[in-house]
Amino acid sequence: MNIANSGLYNTLFRKNYTFLGLVFAGAFGFEMFYDTRMNKLWDSINRGRQWKDIRHKYAEEE
Amino acid sequence: MAPLTTASRAVARSSALRLATSTSSNAVATRAAISTSSALRDSSSASYSSPFKGESNSNKIPDFSKYMAKGSGGGNQLFGYFMVGTLGAISAAGAKSTIQEFLKNMSASADVLAMAKVEVDLAAIPEGKNVIVKWRGKPVFIRHRTAEEIDEANKVNVASLRDPENDADRVKKPEWLVMLGVCTHLGCVPIGEAGDYGGWFCPCHGSHYDISGRIRKGPAPLNLEVPAYDFPEDDKLIIG
Repeated sequence: MNIANSGLYNTLFRKNYTFLGLVFAGAFGFEMFYDTRMNKLWDSINRGRQWKDIRHKYAEEE
Repeated sequence: MAPLTTASRAVARSSALRLATSTSSNAVATRAAISTSSALRDSSSASYSSPFKGESNSNKIPDFSKYMAKGSGGGNQLFGYFMVGTLGAISAAGAKSTIQEFLKNMSASADVLAMAKVEVDLAAIPEGKNVIVKWRGKPVFIRHRTAEEIDEANKVNVASLRDPENDADRVKKPEWLVMLGVCTHLGCVPIGEAGDYGGWFCPCHGSHYDISGRIRKGPAPLNLEVPAYDFPEDDKLIIG
């Protein structure tokens, strides 16, 4: 792969502001992904112990 | 003066002599040292061997072709930037999350917020009656005022009051008067439907409040405080 005609390098990495923008956009996307995955993991580990799992036993619908 | 100059000259002469003799002896010693060191160097150069075994010529550049990139090296550069960017993104997400969680930690939790509000059913309060509810550890007076009481509160000359306030500024709906039941003098709880002005009377030091909760007589400096409240529905009051 020649760096001069590599599209990824020229469009995103060459200018610092595009690189930084890519980093921040990546951080945003990564955070959403990571948070949802970790919440799912937490819920699966604590399945049956959280209020949202047992709410239907106690809460009376108005 | 003369003895002093001769004495100083004698001292100078003797020191110069001493200096000369010492330098000459030093010179001899130095010469001896030089000769011994040169003799040493001569003997060691004869048995010198390079610690780099098998490399006869140190000017020869080693062959790095095994470690060099096969193409132009652009892929490696791209990979390097990609790794830097990825680490930067993860660090940025971590830094943002850290700050956010610290700030979230300082805000009130859901149970505290739930306790900070009181809901009152206004349909249960008949006209001309007081209700006292507890809100954040303090009593709150709710009075369903009659039309005559509203008129009475509006008739008062506001300029003559100690803490001038219009009745309209103290209520959201004229028939519902909501205020903190804490005397502004020293914090006692006033008694309802008492006092000279038909409103509240503080038994501790004799402050009289009118039907709008404004101070009229006695030591209290300010009107009874009005908390933040709202009517989400017609017959419902939320304090807080």
